[in-house]
This record gives sequence, structure tokens and C-alpha cells, in this order.
Amino acid sequence: MENAIKKYWPVFLLPTLAAFIIGFIWPFIWGIYLSFHKFTTISKTTFVGLSNYVKVFQDATFVNAFWFTAKFTIVSTIIINVIAFVLALALTRGLKGTNVFRTVFFLPNLIGGIVLGYIWQILLNGILTNMGLPLLALNANYGFWGLIILMCWQQIGYMMIIYIAGLQNVPGDLLEAASIDGATSFQTLIKVKLPMVMPSITICSFLTLTNSFKLFDQNLALTGGEPAKASQMLALNIYDTFYARSGAQWKGIGQAKAVVFFLLVITIALVQLYFTRRKEVQQ
Amino acid sequence: MAKAKVYHDGAVSGARRVVDACLSILLTVLSLVWIYPVVLILQNSLKAETAISTTAVFELPTAESFVGLHNYIYGVTQMNFLASFGYSLVITITSVILIILCCSMCAWYITRVNSTVSKLMYLLCAFSMVVPFQMVMFTLSKTADTLSLNSPFNICIIYLGFGAGLAVFMFTGFMKSVPLAIEEAAMIDGCNPLQIFFKIVFPILKPTAISTAILETMWVWNDYLLPTLVLDIKKYRTIPMAIQYFRGSYGRVEMGPMMACIMITVIPIIVMYLLCQKYIIEGVVAGAVKG
Amino acid sequence: MKKIIALALALVLCVALASAACADASVYYLNFKPEQDAQWQELAKLYTEKTGVPVTVVTAASGEYETTLMSEIEKSDAPTLFQVNGPVGLANWTDYCYDLSGTDLVKHLTSDAFALKDGDVVKGVAYVVETYGIIANTKLLEKAGYTVADITNFETLKKVADDIQARKAELGLDGAFTSAGMDGSSDWRFKTHLANMPIYYEYQADGIGTTGAIKGTYLDNYKKIWDLYITDATCEPALLASKTGNDAVAEFVGEKAVFYQNGTWAWNDVKDLGAENLTMLPIYIGVEGEENQGLCTGTENYWCVNGEADQEDIDATIAFLEWVITSDEGRKSMSQDMGFVVPFDTFTGEYASTNPLVAVDAALTAEGKIPVSWNFPTMPSEEWKNGVGSALTAYAAGTGDWNGVVTAFVDGWKTEYDLTH
Repeated sequence: MENAIKKYWPVFLLPTLAAFIIGFIWPFIWGIYLSFHKFTTISKTTFVGLSNYVKVFQDATFVNAFWFTAKFTIVSTIIINVIAFVLALALTRGLKGTNVFRTVFFLPNLIGGIVLGYIWQILLNGILTNMGLPLLALNANYGFWGLIILMCWQQIGYMMIIYIAGLQNVPGDLLEAASIDGATSFQTLIKVKLPMVMPSITICSFLTLTNSFKLFDQNLALTGGEPAKASQMLALNIYDTFYARSGAQWKGIGQAKAVVFFLLVITIALVQLYFTRRKEVQQ
Repeated sequence: MAKAKVYHDGAVSGARRVVDACLSILLTVLSLVWIYPVVLILQNSLKAETAISTTAVFELPTAESFVGLHNYIYGVTQMNFLASFGYSLVITITSVILIILCCSMCAWYITRVNSTVSKLMYLLCAFSMVVPFQMVMFTLSKTADTLSLNSPFNICIIYLGFGAGLAVFMFTGFMKSVPLAIEEAAMIDGCNPLQIFFKIVFPILKPTAISTAILETMWVWNDYLLPTLVLDIKKYRTIPMAIQYFRGSYGRVEMGPMMACIMITVIPIIVMYLLCQKYIIEGVVAGAVKG
Repeated sequence: MKKIIALALALVLCVALASAACADASVYYLNFKPEQDAQWQELAKLYTEKTGVPVTVVTAASGEYETTLMSEIEKSDAPTLFQVNGPVGLANWTDYCYDLSGTDLVKHLTSDAFALKDGDVVKGVAYVVETYGIIANTKLLEKAGYTVADITNFETLKKVADDIQARKAELGLDGAFTSAGMDGSSDWRFKTHLANMPIYYEYQADGIGTTGAIKGTYLDNYKKIWDLYITDATCEPALLASKTGNDAVAEFVGEKAVFYQNGTWAWNDVKDLGAENLTMLPIYIGVEGEENQGLCTGTENYWCVNGEADQEDIDATIAFLEWVITSDEGRKSMSQDMGFVVPFDTFTGEYASTNPLVAVDAALTAEGKIPVSWNFPTMPSEEWKNGVGSALTAYAAGTGDWNGVVTAFVDGWKTEYDLTH
């Protein structure tokens, strides 16, 4: 059996492998190579060692983008997950119209980041103007909270769905037992439901974490990094370094920034892997 | 959900009913808040340009400011929006079909053939899921340009390459739990691997294929940066690109047509969602739990 | 099985399509000005019909010209024609600019000043000259009991504006000036165009054309005009930061304000008010002898030909541009349809611009008023402009004082200049 399939590798493996090399492996390796070079066009590259990486950390906009992103990631992860979990609890009580609510809350998730960004830009600027406050593009603080609101709108429904699935998997006899023992609904929540949906919590936390950390489209459309790059997140900062800053050195620095960004994302993923593995062992 | 009620039946008290009623009201209000942004865009897309200043954005169209479908017609003709719609459709359909087909085959190979190549491919796929697009943004657009993979008809190859990770990962995750017995029986009956795959394995994979297809569709349809950098912008614009191009000269935006086009983009999504809600939600849950 | 065959066919088709791209000479123009996109497309089609040379025009989204150019120039099918905004922009792209010296394009320029040079080599040619000032609604001005002739310097401008502001309810207005629009949608009107005024007068006084350290001699005048803009506006100064450029246009077109600082390019936005009701006033800032000052006229749009392109594409591009500035179709399109003032000697007589705001400038120059030159291409960087813009916004909102503007203007100039030199 195995040998028979093996003979068919040009049919089964090759198309994906070829596309994978074109679309991922080669650009990835080349990207790492270029991060050590200075270049404007790829035909003329000069090796500069680690100097691109040194400049990455000297670039105030990158450092600023890092802190903005970190702050944004933490705040959005907490808010989104708390609200999504509460909604999931409310929607597993067997209320009338549960399906309608679920449908509505999930909907924004299907709308693309650019479109979302413009929808909220129009809405939030309208609110700010009518309150006599500065526009999104003029105040990084409003930009920050605008992005948080946007992300909540987009992500809460998604996370809620996963939490609902988790809550529905809590075995009925466990809840019954708790109820017979006279546990209040709050005690049931803390002692029974919460531990049982821990895997969902891990999944959702890391999903929001990576989504927020890698955010690009929404950032570009909602604030565009205004004012003066103060609301720029890492992904946008890298794009900006590559394509908006002129000068021979910036492309190499941009690529170096991308490598640093990649390492940060990998770290988050490894932490996630560690947590998921540990859970699996415990169970 | 009816189940949950049973356990509390004995305790269904007035208090719980009050709580439920309050919750229902709260959720209703929240739902209205949730759909308001879309309603806001809809209402403004029917207004005249001068009636969409930031102060007037919350006002309903009046007899004076109502312009009917003017913005829609203008947006569609001026920006060639229908062409963008078509390109987005072509790109999404070809890419998703290609990804599902190639990746399910690849995943089957990886799980059934125990070789170094298989293992390496699996690891690389898992790895590629984590890598942010910015990492390969520049080099990928350069590669695609060199290979002329820059039209809506062949950009699916790039999507297959960059999107293979998730799909292969999801298919192998499922495949591992599929017993070998049926496939071996078919083999003895004289089927070749291709026949086995399409007659036996692929039908079993269907639920995973649907989940994967939904996730990939959401990604490709909404993707902005990859097509912006890779597509030949002289000829093609996808929907997200077209929306971005509404930002007119010196930062002036033609708000009316832009909102009309946002509505044209959002309405099919809502319709699709309402039609296949069950699959979409299941797909998302499955994807999240495995990914 | 059928699926595989279908897929294989699809792949073959793709490859066939991809390889069908022809290798003949072609022109690819990455256009900067979205409001003229339609006219360029038409012109390109016309040229292709006449000569068979394919011309593609792509217009970048606003604020994304540099990013689009940067990503397009890397491609194998790169733009053959693009634009830079002056010496500062040229510094970034000079390696890509083909030497235009000796071409008919340069010969036809009405003045050597419109050639953008790197040393002695002509790297770019200006293709449009623009003018800005304070666009005024004369109908409303007359309703308030004034005429354009009443405004000859800052004192009179302030007197008229203050009076209109005081009687705004009676006149059915929201204010004398439109609100500002300090976000990216129109902040350049103040951090760049208005800031040109003190720089212009300082350069004039010192007899220089560029500097590494601005002194800010005329910053008090900058404060005067800015104070006037924000106090006699359609909204409270503190609310200016919550208005967009679209709001400003809506107020002006809705006849809620009399004055609106902008340029000839904005004609399409305001033309519904009727040419007979519109004029443009010089921006007076209270400098001695400003009665003789005209409108601000200059250019920041230069055509550059991509020197990295194939020679035949370069030749085709130059031929296309020469056709645009000499043929009847090209001249008509640029002058009448696009409404440009074009700095080539072929644009005379019937090919002069029909833009009424341009006519105002011509009339003022004919009267002997001295046009104010555009000095903002010498501003050290975008960072500098943003710094001034933020400080102006903070000052208007009351969260910062005027010293903040002075610091951003004077100290910021030196810091940014040193960074880039």
C-alpha cells in the first residue's frame, strides 16, 4: 500500500510541494538572506552583516510600534475573551432567540479588514465630531481605542462560538451533580464550567493574541498609523519601512524588522504549544 | 441547549425568569448595536455627497439629501467595481478549489507514506502557519513577478503555496483518525491510489474539506496586502484594493460611492452567511480547535 | 478524475495567458493625480489607437503614491513614467531618472525653472503649474456688503472677516472661514501651503532660496493668519480637530462660509457655486507692502522617465509625452479637460487653461501683483510638516501654546535638515 502511493508522488505531493516552495520556502529563505544586506533592487545587494538589525532597534518608530502593538494585544485579548465568554454563558441558557443573537454577533467576522476599517472610521469619526473631540487620525489614544472597539466587533462573535462549543461539551451529569450538591450557579461556573472549558480558553486567548499581534488591514484602513505614526502597529511599520521610506538602507532594515517580527510571533506560538501540551498531559 | 434547562427545572424560579428576561433585553439591545455600523453605511450610501459630512453622518436621508441609487451606479461605473467583484470571485474560487484538492492529496500522501520527505513537509507546513506575511512580503512579490504569477487566473498558485500550511495541517489532523482497513481492501480489489483517493478517501474527508474551504474562502476573499503586492495592478483590482482606491486626491474621499461599494461588498457576504450559517459556524469551530 | 483534468486544463490556460504578454515597446504611466485619472485613460486609449503603442495609466490611491511606486518599480513590468514632487523627492529617485536633457520636452519648457535638475542633468520636467490662495464666494461677500476690492491686505481681510463672523446669524452663515480639516485629508493646506508664507518672506528678506536653519522671522505673521482662520471659522477653535477636509468643502459648497483656502486643483469640488460667484484672494499675513502680493504659484509635479526600463520603452514614453504636449488632442485634454496650466510653450491661445481660478491668477499677475513662489519643496522632510501640523492642531485646541509651533517650526527644521544631510 505505502509503496503504491509512494509511486504516485508526482500527483499527490508534487503540486503542493512546488507551490509551497514558490509561495513560502524560497521567499522565506531569501528573506532571511536579504535581512543581512543593503539593497534597493535585488540585483544590487551588499552584505552588511548585522548592521540592519542594529538599526532596527535604533529606529524609534519601530520601538514605538512594538509598545503600541504589545499594549493593544494585551488589552484586546482580555476584553474580547471576557466579553465573548460572558456572551457564550448567556447564550447557553436556552433563551429565546439564541440563534438570532448568535447569528448577529458572528456576522462581522466575515467582513474583511479593509472594509471593517472604513466602516468604523466613518462611525467613530462621526461620534467624535459630534462630541467635539479630535478625529481618530489626530489623537493616538482615540486611534488605540478605536482599534480595540473594531477588533471587539470583529472577533467577539468568533470567540463566542468557540466558547459555546466548549460549554456545550461540559457533561450534563457534572452539572447535575453540582446542582444536587446545592452549588449556586456562580459556584458551578467557577468550579465546574471554567475548568472544563480551559482548552477553549487557551485556544481563544492565543487566537486573539496572534490576530491582534499580526493586525494589518484594520490598522491601515482605520488610522493608517496617524498621527505621525503614533498608532502604527508592527506589521504596518514593516510595510511602511519597505514601501514608504525612500533610501537605499530602508529595504534591508525592513526585512530585518520582518525577521524580528517573525521571531516574536514564533515565540508566542511556542508558548502556546507549551500550554496546550501541558493541558493534554494533565488530562 | 434544551438539555441545560432540564437540570435547573426543579429550580426554575421567578428569579431566574427575571434574569432571563433582563438578559434577553440586554442581548437584543447589544444585537442592535452590533448591526448598527452596517445600517449606518447603508443609510449614508443613499445620501448626497454634501450630506455625509462627519457631523451629519448620523442623520437619516431626507427628501432633500436622498439620492436613491446614484452612489451605487456612480461607484460601480466609475471604479469599475463589477470587474473587481469578478476578479475577487475568480481568485477566491480557483484558489480554494486548488487548495482543497492539492492539500488533501498531499495530506493523504504524508499520512500514508512514512518517509523523511513526509515528515519534513508536515513540519514545514505547521511552521508556515505561524510565519507572518510581512516576513515574505517583499521576496514573495518578487518571486511571483519573476514567474508571472500576477493575474487573477494564476495567482491561485501563490495562494496554494502560502495557504498550504493550514490546509495540510487540518487534513492530516483528520486523516490520522481514518482507519486504513477500507483503503487496503480497495487496494486488494485492484484500485490504484488515485481511484482510492477519489472514491474512498475524499468522501470521508468531506466535513474537513468544507471547514477548510470556509476558512480559506474567508482569508482569500478579504485579503488585501498579498494581491496588492502581487497582482498586476495595471489590469486588476480586487474588492479590498478597489475600496482602498476610493481615497481620492489630496486625501479627499468620495464618501457616497465608497459606502455604496462597501454595501455591495457586504450584502453578498451577509446573504451567503445566512444561507450556509450552519457550515460556516461549524467550520470555524473545527478550524479553531485544530489550528 | 474529471476534476484533475479540469484543473490541468486550467493550469495550462494560466501558463498560456501569462506567456502571452508581448514584449513590444509600451508605456506605463503611474499617475499621481486621481482627479485627472479619467482624462489620462482616454488620452492613453487615443494614442494607442493612433500609433499602436500600448499605453497603460494607473493612478495610485491618495497618500499611497510612494508605496505604489516603490512596489511597482521592483516589478519586471515597471512604470516607465512616474513623478516626483521636487528636489527632495528627486533625491530618492534620482538613480531611476532617465536623462531628459536635449529632448523636445525640455526644449518646449517655457522657463528653465521648470526643469528639475540633478547637477546639470535634467531629470524631470514640470507638467502643471498650480496656484492657491483664499477661494472666496463673492456672492456672499456682496451680500455682507463688501467687494473683493475691499480686501487688499491683512488688516482689511481681518476687518471683513471679523464683521462677517459677527453678523453670521443675520447672513445665514456658520462663519467666515471653513473649518480646518487637520487630519490627513487636508492638513497640507496649513502645515505645507500656509507655512509657505512665512518661509517665502524669510527667503525674500534674506535673499536665499533654501536654508538649513530657518529663523522664523515671520512666525508672528503666521500666528496672525492662523488665529484669524480659527477664530472666524464655522466652529469653535477647539472643535477644529474634529473636522475633516470633506467637512470644509461641504461648508463652502453649502454656502455656510465665505472663505476657503485651497488651490486651482479644487475647482471641481467648488464649481457648483458658479464661476461668476467665485474668486481667489492672496493670502495676506500682515507683511509690509503685501498690497502688491499675488497668489501662490508654483509646481510640485514633475514627470520622470524610468531609466532602468528597456531603451525602446524609454523612447516610446518620451514619444508619448511629446505627442501629449504637441498634438491637438493632447493639448486639449491637458488644458481644457484636466484644467491644467501647462508650462510648455505649445500651450498658447485656445490651449490656455479654462479653469476660472487660473484666470484670476492671470488677471492678478497682469495687474502687476507679484506671485508668491512655492518654497515647500525645500521643507526638510515629511516629519517636519507633521510636527508643525500637530503643533498647529494643539494650539487651536488649546492643549498647546504658540511656542510649540515655533519650536516645531524652527528647531524641528534644523533637526530634520541635519538628519537628511
